[in-house]
Amino acid sequence: MRFVAMTLVSWLAAVAVCFVLIRLVPGDPVEVFADHMSLRLSPELVAAYRAQWGLDQSLLTQFWYWLQGFVTLDWGLSFATGAPVFGELIDRLGWSLAIGVGGMSLALLVGAGLGFLAAAKAGGLADQLSRVMAIGGQALPAFAVGLIALWLLAAQLQWIAPFGGGTVERLILPVGLVAFFSIGSISRLVRAGFAETVSAPHFKTALSKGLPYRTALWKHGRRRASIALLAGLAPDIAWIVGGTAVAEIIFGVPGLSERVIDAVVARDYPVLQTYVALVALWIIVGLRICAALRAWLEPRPPALGLRP
Amino acid sequence: MRAQARHVLPLMTIGLLTLLSVGALWQPLDPHAVDLQAPLESPSVEHWLGTDHLGRDVASRLLAGAQPSLLAIGIVLVASLGIGLSVGILIAFAPSAVSNVLRWLAETALALPTLIVALLLSALFGAGLIAISAALIVSTWAPYALAIAGLLERLRSEPYWTASLALGSSSWGAVRRHGVPNAWPMIGALAGADAGRAVILVASLGFLGLSPDTGRPEWGAMIHEYRLFLFSDLLLVLAPVCATALVALALNLALDRG
Repeated sequence: MRFVAMTLVSWLAAVAVCFVLIRLVPGDPVEVFADHMSLRLSPELVAAYRAQWGLDQSLLTQFWYWLQGFVTLDWGLSFATGAPVFGELIDRLGWSLAIGVGGMSLALLVGAGLGFLAAAKAGGLADQLSRVMAIGGQALPAFAVGLIALWLLAAQLQWIAPFGGGTVERLILPVGLVAFFSIGSISRLVRAGFAETVSAPHFKTALSKGLPYRTALWKHGRRRASIALLAGLAPDIAWIVGGTAVAEIIFGVPGLSERVIDAVVARDYPVLQTYVALVALWIIVGLRICAALRAWLEPRPPALGLRP
Repeated sequence: MRAQARHVLPLMTIGLLTLLSVGALWQPLDPHAVDLQAPLESPSVEHWLGTDHLGRDVASRLLAGAQPSLLAIGIVLVASLGIGLSVGILIAFAPSAVSNVLRWLAETALALPTLIVALLLSALFGAGLIAISAALIVSTWAPYALAIAGLLERLRSEPYWTASLALGSSSWGAVRRHGVPNAWPMIGALAGADAGRAVILVASLGFLGLSPDTGRPEWGAMIHEYRLFLFSDLLLVLAPVCATALVALALNLALDRG
């Protein structure tokens, strides 16, 4: 119960900040809309539009209406196209979710495996690979890697037909790209978690009982490694959002990003507001799930007042 | 070999940045000069990296395109370092009511998606260096603050810290005398990663079609423009891609002493 309440409060705060920010910025949405449509609106028409979009009411009332609308899936009308935002975004949301969730799952799976192998043999092949991938994930631009992959796989090797094919085929490259950039950092977190176990006395006991090295490391280290992973996952949860956006543009997937970039150019605030609300929901729920899992794995009461 | 690489890498990075700074101000040919008679030429003595689909000199455009990235690096390093250090010291020394709020802010900032913040700010303030820099500062100050706070809290339990206070030095004096020198290696690694991130973010926004100034060449915008030739003229795409990756990688490696 407390969990849900905290999640809701964080989300409301994030969305409210964005809501106020959009309305603080100079440039009335009606004027932006008129500019965009190359219209010359009379003051009466401007007033009519303001009334229709609810801009003449207090900030709090506006936020309340927006919130009501968001929850009941009435996401307002796009300034740029006049169509309901819900209808414009809902089909795209599926694509974006598939890439984001798929990329995250793949990264967790491969990253955890690589991290375990890296910890099992420090300085070995897996360790080197995980280090290189961590540096690469930090230092290489995602779109550059995506373009090169597209060139290599589609033009040179002709393994895949880009921009076409079935749903699964269109998702392979974006999911792989999003995962590629998280595998390195995830494997380093997992490796560090397992490395703690290697130096622990109970691990030496397990070895002296005659357990094979890897079995012992897996059995005794997985809980601590999971905790280390969950503690450091926040930047990756955030990265997935940006990574998904870049991957969609490169590989021409009709996800949210395309529409959002248009909305940025046209200052289409209803679309942006909805997008921010969805992104905030993803990140906050992700962080909350991490925190809850961590608390479940590590049933130690949180330190009160004492900081490490 | 490893020790040597550690000395060579920073020098190479400084060399690369110097080259780019010079290149941002001076180019061998006019980066805007269109020559429709000579589109998509291969590299030659006149055009070091060939010409693009409008016959513009790719090498010159590459050099001129470094400017937004260099500006972003400068702004981000100065601002996020300044904010991060101040907040970190505050977290370590302020009363717990203040420091808890600051710590919560820093941890929240860690989970902000930089690219999305940059997109939102571009929508609000118009695509430009202001939006990019603001987005970078919002998302890069937090690691410094948390790292510095952690370091200072650890140092405070060291005997030499207590000794320094006992000898009559103020807390601020102890931070300057013992905290700052201890913090340098860590700050270096973070700063390298941030500078690299700045280069990547500028290019990413350009690639998404939101470059700071559409009139000027910029690496991301070049990739956005040239990606149509990915399958026919790879070098055209590869030049700005490699420039971005090389600079980001060099910054990351050069400052990382970990």
